[in-house]
Amino acid sequence: MTNRLLDVKGLETHFNTPEGIVHAVNGVSFTLDEGETLGIVGESGCGKSVTMLSCLRLVPMPPGKIVAGQANYKDRDLLAISEDEIRKVRGAHIGMIFQDPMTSLNPVMTIGKQLTEPLILHLGLTEKQARNRSIELLGIVGIPRASDRLKDYPHQYSGGMRQRVMIAMALACMPDILIADEPTTALDVTIQAQIVELVIQLREELGMSIVWITHDLGVVASIANRVAVMYAGFIIEEAPVKKLYAGPSHPYTVGLLNSLPQIQVQEKKRLYSINGMPPTLYKIPHACPFAPRCPWVIERCWSENPLLFPIGDSHKVACWVDIKTGRER
Amino acid sequence: MSFNNGPLIRVEDLVMHFPITRGVFRRQVGAIRAVDGVSLEIEQGETLGLVGESGCGKTTLGRTILQLYEPTSGHVYFEDTDLTQLKPEPLRQKRKRLQMIFQDPYASLNPRMTVREIIGDPMLAFGMASGKEIDARVSELLDLVKLDQKYAGRYPHEFSGGQRQRIGVARALALNPSFIICDEPISALDVSIQAQVVNLLEDLQEELALTYLFIAHDLSMVRHISDRVAVMYLGVIVELSDRNDVYINPLHPYTQALLSSIPVADPEYYVDHQRIVLKGDVPSPANPPSGCRFRTRCPIAGDECAEVEPELREISPGHFVACIKVPGKEVDTQDT
Repeated sequence: MTNRLLDVKGLETHFNTPEGIVHAVNGVSFTLDEGETLGIVGESGCGKSVTMLSCLRLVPMPPGKIVAGQANYKDRDLLAISEDEIRKVRGAHIGMIFQDPMTSLNPVMTIGKQLTEPLILHLGLTEKQARNRSIELLGIVGIPRASDRLKDYPHQYSGGMRQRVMIAMALACMPDILIADEPTTALDVTIQAQIVELVIQLREELGMSIVWITHDLGVVASIANRVAVMYAGFIIEEAPVKKLYAGPSHPYTVGLLNSLPQIQVQEKKRLYSINGMPPTLYKIPHACPFAPRCPWVIERCWSENPLLFPIGDSHKVACWVDIKTGRER
Repeated sequence: MSFNNGPLIRVEDLVMHFPITRGVFRRQVGAIRAVDGVSLEIEQGETLGLVGESGCGKTTLGRTILQLYEPTSGHVYFEDTDLTQLKPEPLRQKRKRLQMIFQDPYASLNPRMTVREIIGDPMLAFGMASGKEIDARVSELLDLVKLDQKYAGRYPHEFSGGQRQRIGVARALALNPSFIICDEPISALDVSIQAQVVNLLEDLQEELALTYLFIAHDLSMVRHISDRVAVMYLGVIVELSDRNDVYINPLHPYTQALLSSIPVADPEYYVDHQRIVLKGDVPSPANPPSGCRFRTRCPIAGDECAEVEPELREISPGHFVACIKVPGKEVDTQDT
C-alpha cells in the first residue's frame, strides 16, 4: 500500500484586484502518493501555479486569499498550521523550483552562500559541513568543478546551470515532495532534455514525489504518472498518463492535444484550433467555463457547471457530454 | 519588373560580427560572430523554417537579411537587387516589400497608439494613403487577420496576446509585402492560441502569395509550417533540407539531438525512446571552437573535427549537411 503524501481538498483561492475579485482556484482537489509524479497541465492563467503556491501558503496575501479548503501533508493541514510550522515544512519537506532561474536566484549572493543557507537553517549543519554538502549537491545535479564554482554569482552560470542550482537547492534537505513550476519553459529544447533526464534520474535515486506544473503536453507525457488538466481554476480532467493521451475525454483536453502539430505526420494539414479565449475569472461560473469554446456544448452546459466525476478506473472528467457518443452522460 | 523566376531571396556568404570594445577609445578586442558565413535561397511562395537554440544567430540572420543591421560582409539579393549595396533611400523603398512579425506581441506594439494608428503608420510613412483611404485599408486589413473592424479605435492593452499578434500581422501586411520574416511569432502564445495564429499565417500566404522566413525553436511547429528547414548552430547552417527529410532522415548529429529532445505528447513514445542528451551548453559565439563548431558537444566528434571547418555539402538532391563524419555518397535511410 502506498502512502498518501498530499491530499488537497476543495482548495479555493481568490485575488482582490481593482477590477474585482479574481477567482483563480475554484475548489481543486487532488492527491499525491509516495513516489508518484503528478503533472498539472494548463494554459497561462488557469490557476495551476496558484494551486501549488496556495498549498505552501506562498501566495502573496494580500491581494491573494485562500478562501476554503485543506492541504493535508501526511497528517497536518498546511493551511491550518502556524507560520512557524509551515516554514519548517517549506524547503525541508516540500521543495520547490520555479520557471525562471534568473529571477529566483539572488543576483548579489554567491551560489555557495545561497546553497548553504537552507542547510544551516533547516538541518543545523556547521558552515564547513554545509559547504561540503553543497559541493556534493552540485555534483549530483551535474555541475562540473563544483568546489570552484561555489564562489561564482548567478550571472556567471548559464540558464541550464542555474536551473540545476535551483534543483540542488530544492534537494538540499531531501524533501519528500518536489514541486516543479514550469522548470524548463525558459530553456532550449536540448537543455530542457538535460533537466528532464536529471529529474527522472534523481526521482529514481531519491524516491521523491513530484508535482510537475507545465503547459507543455509533451514534457508531461515523458515524466508524469498521472496528469490533471486545469481550465479556469478547475481541474477538468484527471487520469493516469497513458489513459489521458489515449482517450482524452474532456473537449478541452481533446482540443489541446489536437492543436499540437504531429511530428510524425508527413503531409501538411491544417491545425485544429480551439476558438476564442479562456474566460476572465471575475465571477463564479454557474455554467461550464469551457462552454463558449466547446464544439460539443449542450443545453445543460449553460445552466450547470459540471463537477469532476469518475468515468472509469481512476479516470475523472468534468463534462456533461460523453464525447464518444455526443450525448449527455 | 526585370525579375524572372529565380529565388526571391538569395543570401551569399552573409557575415554579421558585432564588435566587442574595451576602454575609453573603444578599442576593438574581439567580435561576437553572430552570423558567420550563411548562404541560402528562398523561393517565391515558399516557407523556409529556421531553427536553432537561443543565441545561435537565427534572429540576427533575419534582421541582417532585412538590413536592419549593416552586415560585416556578404550579399543579400532580393529579386536580383543587392540590398547590401543600396543607398538608404532606395533601400527604404525596397523595405516596403520586406516586412517582419516580431516575437513579443506585448513589446512590439506602441501602447500609446490605437490599432488604427499602428496599422496605418507604415502607409503614412511611405505616403501611400491618407485620411479616409487609410481608414478603409485598416478595416480591410483587420478583416484579413480576422479581427472585428470596430476594434480599430482601441489600444493594445485591451487585447489578448493572440489578438495582439494579429495586429502585428496586419501591420506587416499594410504595405503589400512579398516577403515576411516571422521571428518566433508564436513562442509567447498559449498552445490553443498558437494554432489559431499559425492557421492565419498559412491562409494569408495562400491568399496573398507571400514568402516566409519562419524563425522558431519549436521544431514540431516548424515542420508543420515550412517547405524546407534550415538548422543553425553558432552562426552557421549545419543542415538544410526538405521539411520531411530533416525530420525523417536527419544527418547532422546536432539535428539528430535536437529532434530527439522534442517533447512528444504521447507517453507510448517514451517507452523505448532513447533521448540523445547533449552535454553542456552552447559555446560563446565570441570564441567559437576551431574546426566544427559543434564538436565540443558532439557525440561522434573525433580529432579531425577540430582541424577542418566542415562545408555545407549536398548529400542527396536538396539535402545539405555540414559534417565531415557524414559519408559523401547516398546515405542509407535509418530509422530515427
